[in-house]
Amino acid sequence: MEQLTVPGELASLKLIAEFVLAEASKVGLDKKASYRLRLAIDEIATNIILYGFHESAQKGDLHLSATTDNSKLEIAIEDSAIPFDPINARQVEATELERPLEERQVGGLGVYLAIQGVDQFRYERVSDRNRNIFVMNLA
Amino acid sequence: MSFTAATEIDNAIATITLTGDLDASSAPVFREQIDIAAQASPKRIVLMASGLDYMASAGLRVLVFANQKLGTDVDIYLVAPQELVLETLQKTGFDQSVIIVDDYDTAIA
Repeated sequence: MEQLTVPGELASLKLIAEFVLAEASKVGLDKKASYRLRLAIDEIATNIILYGFHESAQKGDLHLSATTDNSKLEIAIEDSAIPFDPINARQVEATELERPLEERQVGGLGVYLAIQGVDQFRYERVSDRNRNIFVMNLA
Repeated sequence: MSFTAATEIDNAIATITLTGDLDASSAPVFREQIDIAAQASPKRIVLMASGLDYMASAGLRVLVFANQKLGTDVDIYLVAPQELVLETLQKTGFDQSVIIVDDYDTAIA
């Protein structure tokens, strides 16, 4: 299992992207799937950093781990920020996606892109930690 | 790849060339260029996107900011976005709000 621990700061997004793309490359994910996985993890990591840590004036780390069993690549992010379940967070309504720019509520777009960009997304609250799990099936 | 955004203003058209990875950490750089462009009261914004390798929702937020800052009369053109950047725009409906074209000449015509 590969692991990466980074501080809960926006500057960590680059390291997270490098970690995800390296793991995707190891298991042979194609360019599109790698991009979507990176986008999903980037969006959720951004949420954890901005809303889980910064907005609640907390500090903490993001712990990433990657596992594979030949049929799928699974990457998990764990953090000790306030509980946040993206699946039950405000969902973007289909009508919202059709609105012109001047009427846009931008909140929720990142979570929307994250959840529908991967083959499976799970959220678990384990003791005092959030665990967001992203799964991509291998062809 | 690190993100860059550079603005040129000519004939009331603000052209911003974007390269690299646009995420939440680099979005303020893009937003700053929108601010610079807005000072010239352009009639059109042209975003050169062929070198933009990645865009997160933070980039979409800057597009909304640009629209609010410049007003709805100022069209935003996006020139030659890469396939996966375009996919994000389409999934979120932003392809209906910005004008996506293949080349610069079409954007300034």
